[in-house]
Amino acid sequence: MPVAEAERLSKRYGSVLALRGVDVTVQSGCTGLVGSNGAGKSTLIKLLLGLLKPDAGQARVLGHDVAVDPLAIRQAVGYLPEGQCLPADVTAADFVAFMAQLGGLPPRQARERASEICYQVGLEEERYRAVGGFSTGMQQRVKLATALVHDPQLLLLDEPTDGMDPQGREDMLDLIKRIRAELGVDVLVSTHLLGDVERVCDHVIMVHAGQVLLQASIVEAAGTASPGFGVQLGDNGGEVRAALVAAGLEVKPAGEELHVHGRDDAADLVRDVAADRGWALRRLVPRAPSLEETFLRLQAAAAAEEAPPPPQAPTPEPARRAS
Amino acid sequence: MSELRELPTGAIYDRGYRHYDGPREGRSRRIKAIVVAGVRRVLGLKRNWKTKVVPFALVVGAFGPVLAFIGVRLLVGESVGQFLGYPAYFRIVSVVLLLFAATAAPELLCPDRRQHVLALVFTRPVTRGDYLAAKLAALIVVIGLVALLPLVILFAGNALTAPSAANYLRHHLGDLGRILFAGGVLTVFYAVVSLAVASLAERRSLATAGMLGTFLASSALANAMFFTSPSTVPGRRWLTFVSLGGLPARFVEWVFGQPFESGSLASQAGFTGPAYLIALAALTLLAGSVLAWRIARLQP
Repeated sequence: MPVAEAERLSKRYGSVLALRGVDVTVQSGCTGLVGSNGAGKSTLIKLLLGLLKPDAGQARVLGHDVAVDPLAIRQAVGYLPEGQCLPADVTAADFVAFMAQLGGLPPRQARERASEICYQVGLEEERYRAVGGFSTGMQQRVKLATALVHDPQLLLLDEPTDGMDPQGREDMLDLIKRIRAELGVDVLVSTHLLGDVERVCDHVIMVHAGQVLLQASIVEAAGTASPGFGVQLGDNGGEVRAALVAAGLEVKPAGEELHVHGRDDAADLVRDVAADRGWALRRLVPRAPSLEETFLRLQAAAAAEEAPPPPQAPTPEPARRAS
Repeated sequence: MSELRELPTGAIYDRGYRHYDGPREGRSRRIKAIVVAGVRRVLGLKRNWKTKVVPFALVVGAFGPVLAFIGVRLLVGESVGQFLGYPAYFRIVSVVLLLFAATAAPELLCPDRRQHVLALVFTRPVTRGDYLAAKLAALIVVIGLVALLPLVILFAGNALTAPSAANYLRHHLGDLGRILFAGGVLTVFYAVVSLAVASLAERRSLATAGMLGTFLASSALANAMFFTSPSTVPGRRWLTFVSLGGLPARFVEWVFGQPFESGSLASQAGFTGPAYLIALAALTLLAGSVLAWRIARLQP
C-alpha cells in the first residue's frame, strides 16, 4: 500500500501555478522528492499535510483523506520544515518536549522522550542551551528531533541539508539512513541535491515547474539495472572491453574509466579478468547510478515542451509608395 | 592446569532509535501544553533572567502595597487605620493590568509568527481554534492573577485583622462578590483586547506601543474633544466611550457604588454604570472578532 498518493493535485498562488494536476504515489521506504527551487516540492508536502488547500485534486496520506482528516495525518506524520522555525530563547530539550506534548505525550514521557531523541540526533549537552545560539547544522538536528519525538509513521523532510556544510550534510544523511534502518519509518525527503537522494533514497520523484517528470526506483531512474563500478584495467582499450563483455558485464566508457555494471558480482568478475589476463587493475571503485543525467534530460525535455514556438518573422508590410 | 578464571562481563547498549509505546493523550493535553508554555513565556520562566524583570516588577507592583499593608497591620495592630478601599486599589491594579497586558500579549503571539514557530505547531494536530483558546487561556491565567489575587488578599487581610473576622465577613461578603465580578470582567477585557492588538503586529515592541498608545491616546483625545467642543454639538457625550482607558475605571466605580468624579467627562456625559459594562463587552467582542480573523489567516 502506498504511503501517500495524490491525484490531479493543483495549487495556485495568485498568478503562479505551483502544482499542475500532479499524480504522485509515495511508496514505502525512503523517497526523494527532487526538483529545482520553486518546482513545487514544498507546496506538495504542505498539501499532503493538509496545511494548504488544493485548488483541485485530492490526496491520501497513510490511508487518511487530507481534506477530511488532516489532524489524523498530522498525528502520524513528522515534518521538518524548510528554513528557520525554532524559538530562539528556548532550550532544545524544552522545545522538543513541548512538541512531544503537542503530539499527545504526557509531560513526563515527553521530557524523557525529548531527551532521548535529542541524544540520538547528536544533541548531547547542547540540548540544554537556547536554540538561538545554535549553528545551522545543530538547528537542523533540533528540527529533526521535533519531527521524530512523537514517533511518527512517516517523516516529511523539507530540504533537511539546506545551508549545511559538507560534514554537517554527511551527518544529516547518515542520521536519516539510520532512522530509516532502525525505526523502519517511511521517509519523503525533499531536496534539490540529487547526491542526497542517491545517498539515502530507494525511490525518487522528480518535479519541475509544478509537474512530475518521473517517479521510479533509484535504479530505474538512473537507467541502470544495478549500481556499477568505475574501472581502470590495463589500457582500457578494445581488448579489455571485449574481455569484460565476454565475462557477462555491460561496459560503457566514462571519461578516464570504464563504467561496468549489469551483475551483482561485477567487482569479482573484473578482478578475475584482471588476474586471468595479467592486466594491471589500477582502479575499481563503486559508482552510484547517476540520477543527474536522467533529471537534466527530463527537465530539458519538459522545458522544451513548455517553451513557446519560436516567433515567426513578421510578415513585411508592403512598402508604402510615396504618394 | 589451572582453570581460566571467568572475568566479569558487562555490556554497554546503544539502544538506538526506539518506538514510543507509552500513553498518548488527546486534544486537551495539546491545549494544556500551549497554555503552560504560554504562562511560562509571559513570566519569563525557564528563560534568561532579563525576561523575568518586567513581569515580576509588575507583579510586585500589584501585590507589594497590599502585602506591605497587611504585614504592618499584623505587626502594629488596627491603629494603622484604614488602608485603601477596594475601588482605590483597583485603580492601582488597573495601571498594572494595562502594562501587564501590553507586554504579555505580544510575548505570547509575536515570537511564534516572527520566528516561524507556527510552521511546526500547526503540523501537529492543533487547530487554529485550539491555538487561540490556549493563548487566551494562558493570558487570562496571568492577568487574572494580577487582577484578582491582590484584591482577594486584601479582603482576606481585612477580615483577619478585623476585631471579628466573622463580623467582617458577614458585613462585607458583597465586596468579595464585587471583587470577583470586576476582576473577572477586567481580566477578560484586557486579555482579549491586548491579544487582538498583538495579532496585528509581528514585533513585540510595536504591539506593546500600539496597545499603550491606543489606550492613552484615546483617553486624551476623548477628553480634549469633549472639553473643547461646544455643549450644543449633538452626540458629544458619546465621546466618553472613546476613552478606552476610562471604560474599566468607570465600570469599577459603578460596581463598587462610587459616583463618577464631578466635572469629569463621565459625569458630564450622563451615562450610568451599565453603559460602561456594555461598552466593555462590545469592545471585547469586537477585539475577539479581530483576533479570531487574524488567527484564522495565520500561515504556517
